[in-house]
Amino acid sequence: MAPLNPYTYIQCPCSDSASLGRPSDATSPTSADGDEEDNAFDPRAPRANFSLYPLEYLLYCEDCHQIRCPRCITEEIATYFCPSCLFEVPSSNLKSEGNRCTRSCFQCPICIGPLSVTSIEAPPSDPSLLVPDRAGTPHTTYSLICSYCSWSSTEIGIQFDKPNSIHAQLAKIRNGGASRLTAKERKERRKELSHRGGEAALAASSEAAAGQDMDLETQFANLKLFYNSQLADPNAGDNGFSSLGDLGFSSPSSLSRIMNLYTGGKLHDPRAKSKLGAMREAITADEGLLETDLDESSLITQLHQSDFLDTASSTQICSQPPNLGETYIYGAARFNSSLRPVPYLLRTKRSKRCPVCRHIISKPEAKVQTTRFRIRLVAGSYIPSITIRRLNLPGPNGPAAPAILGDLLEPLKPVHFVLTFKNPIFESLKVTLGAPAKTPGRFPSKVTVLCPQFDIDANTDVWDEALKENDRESSGRSRRRAGTESQFQVEVGKIWERGRNWVSIIVEVVPASLKLEPGRDVLKQDEDVLEIPMFVRIEWEAEGGGDDAASGTGRDKDQKEKKELAYWCVLGLGRIKQG
Amino acid sequence: MSSKRHSILPAVSAGPKPPVHFSSSITIAESALLTGTNLITISSESVIHPRAKLDSLAGRITIGRRCVVHERTMIGAIGTSGKVTEQAVTLGDYATVEVAASIEAGNTIIGEGTTVGVGSKVGAGAVIGKHCTLTPHTEVPAGEVIPDFTVIYSNGMRRIDKRGVADLKNKGQARQIDVLRRMIPTNPAKFA
Ligand SMILES: [Zn+2]
Ligand SMILES: [Zn+2]
Ligand SMILES: [Zn+2]
Ligand SMILES: [Zn+2]
Repeated sequence: MAPLNPYTYIQCPCSDSASLGRPSDATSPTSADGDEEDNAFDPRAPRANFSLYPLEYLLYCEDCHQIRCPRCITEEIATYFCPSCLFEVPSSNLKSEGNRCTRSCFQCPICIGPLSVTSIEAPPSDPSLLVPDRAGTPHTTYSLICSYCSWSSTEIGIQFDKPNSIHAQLAKIRNGGASRLTAKERKERRKELSHRGGEAALAASSEAAAGQDMDLETQFANLKLFYNSQLADPNAGDNGFSSLGDLGFSSPSSLSRIMNLYTGGKLHDPRAKSKLGAMREAITADEGLLETDLDESSLITQLHQSDFLDTASSTQICSQPPNLGETYIYGAARFNSSLRPVPYLLRTKRSKRCPVCRHIISKPEAKVQTTRFRIRLVAGSYIPSITIRRLNLPGPNGPAAPAILGDLLEPLKPVHFVLTFKNPIFESLKVTLGAPAKTPGRFPSKVTVLCPQFDIDANTDVWDEALKENDRESSGRSRRRAGTESQFQVEVGKIWERGRNWVSIIVEVVPASLKLEPGRDVLKQDEDVLEIPMFVRIEWEAEGGGDDAASGTGRDKDQKEKKELAYWCVLGLGRIKQG
Repeated sequence: MSSKRHSILPAVSAGPKPPVHFSSSITIAESALLTGTNLITISSESVIHPRAKLDSLAGRITIGRRCVVHERTMIGAIGTSGKVTEQAVTLGDYATVEVAASIEAGNTIIGEGTTVGVGSKVGAGAVIGKHCTLTPHTEVPAGEVIPDFTVIYSNGMRRIDKRGVADLKNKGQARQIDVLRRMIPTNPAKFA
């Protein structure tokens, strides 16, 4: 079994719905004896998993004086950027261009490796000729190449004329190299034709559309155009004032459409209904009708000729970006040979707010290249950290064996753990601990906190302290280090060790015996881990007026305001030996 | 440095000195390790990096033209079978064996222009085709036959390289060798 390193998890108070949003108050226990045992936090409860976090994961709201975990903060997106080129994408572009990089950053559709643009030089026909007979250098094209799996965009018949703005070029190229018109271009072309006017031009355009394979974008555009004209047409027949203009805001059809938008389409204008009835469906490709191609024989033969590795996996298909140039919705990429390069998905930098007071708790630097934060209120700089060390006291018969972390705990044999609380703030802390006398669960271990109440000195300047050290050396503190551990007795109510901004105390634990009734039950996963819930309550004096806890040395004591914070944490001490 | 290393590892340096057949244009670092009892042939313009190990105990080792054998590679490792064959390992022209790759002995063939990636393992008797790429940490089982232009990537997935850049790669290899010859002091006499 893997050795277990001692750990401390802190329960975010947000999981307790009663205390959400305000500092917990009257419920906090003040002593370690039984009265809080009935509502003690059970670290093994199924819900506990969702509220326990290491200290490093937690943030802190200075205004609410409360811990904030990833579940109880609101996030706001500060910047969108491409993880490949680190280009910041304005959020206005997202709506129009989607959440992928629109420059030249692509991932390999086969192996997700980054693709690089490489030039394909056509071999010069006659290298001895210094002056090529054709104008300029031989035509250079570019392809995207994966340096890991050697995939190349030439495999799907795609080459580019320019080494930059690959995204725009790719949108115009079908697999196989045939070019296609983007929606904008098609619109322009249509406009051009209608300007020229005449039936002949329109006929020509419809012919062109039929000649070109209908892709998703074309079909949608055709359908939209068709329905728009249909919505306008019956109106013209019914009403006399249609000549006033169908596109104006005052036209009844526009009005009814707008009304439908607001009413969610439920309350239909009876007139609109009758109009809808008069509409017909698309009947030609030009109007957006697409016949289903039921003949899949070519696909089947292709499948026959290929093996399993030639077909695209579901992850590969899922990672494919929506391709508006796809011929039709049936027969989406099934073979590796039809997968297209995947433009990088954009990432975000987010700032975090307290959901209660709306203050910003964490705000990254807006520039993509910097990893610094402008504001970052981590819990570690507000609440004491707890570290656990096992203490091996000498037994009556001989010196102690060195304590090894991860050692199994002997059942029913008292063990001592040194808990070191380190104060990160510039005020001295008053700490009160509470732990149930028996751990919850099927195998209750006995827990005694030998010193449940103590003060920790402020986190003052290290150098100030170093200068003061000499005076202290003679008094209380030095006595700890003077002798070896064996000379020390574990005393109830006494601090074990004290330093500049830290205090160590002893917790005595009698691990439960993991004896199971034979044949009745089995040990559940991690049931042998000795975890003790502990209620921590800290009190300190902050400067009044809600100001941050600054170095309050020269300030008037009267202005100080008493603050307190209380939370549950779980100390994982080790595994209990079985059998 | 290298002499020190030999004294620390007497078991390695005490191996039999194999008969060698070197082209005059090869580059072989002094600290390369050549052991075994069978002939080791290295053809023209190939480069053997320092601390590459070639072991001909299980048969002859033949390295083609313009090959690059990187550091800490093990060519001719006696595999689990321990069989001795006439030809242990053959590297085709323009083959590259990258750092810490190992190629087991036993009629193993690496084709022309093939790259055996960092830390890869090629089992005994495997035949790897021309212009293949074994990406780092690929393992080719013993006796496997890999067709030409295969790319083995991501835990054994395979595909065919259709870029058609074999000639370009060979040209690149030649250019790289030009640089390496200037960087690596050669001492073929040590092995003669
Ligand atoms: Zn929370
Ligand atoms: Zn990008
Ligand atoms: Zn790839
Ligand atoms: Zn707040």
